[in-house]
Amino acid sequence: MSILIDRGTRILVQGITGGQAQTDTERALRYGARIVAGVTPGRGGEAVHGVPVFDTVAAAQRNHPADASIVYTPPLAVRDAVLEAIDSTLPLIVVTAEGVPLHDIAYIVAAARANGVQLVGCNTNGIISPGRSRIGGIGGVDPGEIYAPGRIGICSRSGGMSAELARTLKMAGLGVSTCVSMGGDSMTGMRMVEFGRLFEQDPETEAIVVFGEPGTSNEQELAAAIAAREITKPVVALIAGVFQENYPPGQSFGHAAALVRAVDDRATAKKRALSAAGAMVAEKLDDIPVLLSRCLRTRNVAAV
Amino acid sequence: MIRQLEDRTKAWLRMAGLPVPDGESVDTAIGAAAAAARMGGDVILKALVPAGRRGKGGGVIRAATPDEAGAVAEGLLGRVLGSYQVNRVYVERAVKIRTELYLAFLFDHNGAKVIVSRNGGVDIEAIAAADEQSLVTHSIDPIKGLPSWQALDLWRRTGIRGLLLRDLGALTSELYSRFTDRDAELLEINPLAVDGNGHLVLVGTMLALDANAKGRHPEWAADYAETAISASQNPRESKVAAIDASIPGGECRYVELDGDIGLLVGGGGAGLYQHDRLLAAGGRPANHSVTPPVGADNRKLKSVIEAIFDNPRTKALLVGFNFAQMARADIRVRTLLEVIDEMGIDTSKFPIVIRLFGAGEDEARASIAGRAGIHYLPRVASLDDAIRLVVALVAEQMSTTG
Repeated sequence: MSILIDRGTRILVQGITGGQAQTDTERALRYGARIVAGVTPGRGGEAVHGVPVFDTVAAAQRNHPADASIVYTPPLAVRDAVLEAIDSTLPLIVVTAEGVPLHDIAYIVAAARANGVQLVGCNTNGIISPGRSRIGGIGGVDPGEIYAPGRIGICSRSGGMSAELARTLKMAGLGVSTCVSMGGDSMTGMRMVEFGRLFEQDPETEAIVVFGEPGTSNEQELAAAIAAREITKPVVALIAGVFQENYPPGQSFGHAAALVRAVDDRATAKKRALSAAGAMVAEKLDDIPVLLSRCLRTRNVAAV
Repeated sequence: MIRQLEDRTKAWLRMAGLPVPDGESVDTAIGAAAAAARMGGDVILKALVPAGRRGKGGGVIRAATPDEAGAVAEGLLGRVLGSYQVNRVYVERAVKIRTELYLAFLFDHNGAKVIVSRNGGVDIEAIAAADEQSLVTHSIDPIKGLPSWQALDLWRRTGIRGLLLRDLGALTSELYSRFTDRDAELLEINPLAVDGNGHLVLVGTMLALDANAKGRHPEWAADYAETAISASQNPRESKVAAIDASIPGGECRYVELDGDIGLLVGGGGAGLYQHDRLLAAGGRPANHSVTPPVGADNRKLKSVIEAIFDNPRTKALLVGFNFAQMARADIRVRTLLEVIDEMGIDTSKFPIVIRLFGAGEDEARASIAGRAGIHYLPRVASLDDAIRLVVALVAEQMSTTG
């Protein structure tokens, strides 16, 4: 088991004829992902790495039904692409674009919620269930070098750091059930706590690792769910960006989301909230396997 | 975020048929006097700079006669307010204000919000803190929008009663539509005035546009040119900001700090993590940087590298990117070497630690061959390994140079 995507997940690629989409599609197919169709308006009838291309999501769904869609359209076309996928009742939509306008994000997040659709992103590097499937660029050329199959669930605000987390685990002999790059924008579809709940329900996930940043209330929401015992599996959190607190406010150093708005948005407050709720807070990457091995042993469960 | 100057915001609101006082922008004292004479009566002169709290900074001044308006403009033009130079002044007919209200649309991580208060004025935070009941906040469902009856009810909850509610509901609903059409990040009306005749007037307006929506608003070109580049006191920061503003696609940013280790990192979590860890390891960052993905125009990356080498305090450089395997490593390293050669950097005296993996890595490694002082770490190296090495190299350098 895994969350969101598994061996059987049939994937649609919106904007499949674009450069990044073609590269990722080729790599994902090689990894064993079931990409069944692609969409690019006006390019229906073509094929990308053997995947048939349709003009609309509806046409693709009629011919090759999918369970998930990954959207590669440019930022200003994301809103329409997501609404089209929602209209065709795709239950999982993953959006890679960075720089989608705020009003568009607000709209698609609301539309996804209103329709019970799982929206991941925007600005996500994708999802990987090691050895089973991947959606998006996550894992790059050789996912095996970074992601070993296993029983740790990862949710990261940063796409790049998801690779660092998984690789740190792999070097310590630990594997991953599913790794989600949830997107670093200030507003995202699914929140960290929602991924946490999915990991809680997944019988093959034994522990959860999250990477957080200043900005948003994602980490506080997760802390609240842990405190309420909605999430009972061990959680290890690594929160970056404490250094920002040493500099005058208004300086912005990272994603738009890292603009520090209130005291509660700061890295230190997040660490405190998670720690108080019962999560283990790592100071550095190498702490993570140490903390995990401690709690996995007490739970008397093999790590891999 | 692009903060639009008030004259353009007011012109836009006026075009939309909304109640805005008569006003015009001028760039000379004579122009200010003429504008005041045309309007007749008292005028307010406002420095046109993209900074908040202009009133407190002395950027908003009342004048009773055209001569006085000219003198005030004379004093404002050329001044620096909130790190921006005043090049133009907005001359506005003074409104007889009976009541000051407050209205704002903005975003948080849940979406758009509207804030209304029956107490407007210069210091909205203090007023809100003193009288919490007077302020009502509401999350807007972008699918339903903000209908006038819903907006009316928000104002009602602040304690306002009577016919004014009807006007407030309609105006607030209309402004939300404008806020959305305009792709604004923030629209603040403070004060939203009730004038002597009981009519609503948009007296203070602040509009920030969402830079990500620039591609569908060609009309923003003028706003962007005027306000995107802050007059930073640091020439290296200004240079990178200017390049970032002038070249589309990807983001580059450079913020100087008082340490000695230059940081060349990406824009995401790994950059934040390395900065934290560098401090934890006893290192002192000379800057923080945000560099665009490899696909972006290379001049952006180059500008950040140049700024780092140009900073006289920088003694070493950490090039640290996460294990993403997607970006081409050789392009980044080639750009780095280009700058090193152009600027004549002696790397034997300026240690550089590179932790950069991905496509083109073999070429990248080959390209540094024979260059002293560049440490390209092997693929087993972690972000922390790179940090420890650069801190050790700086310590070593300090001990040898005494």
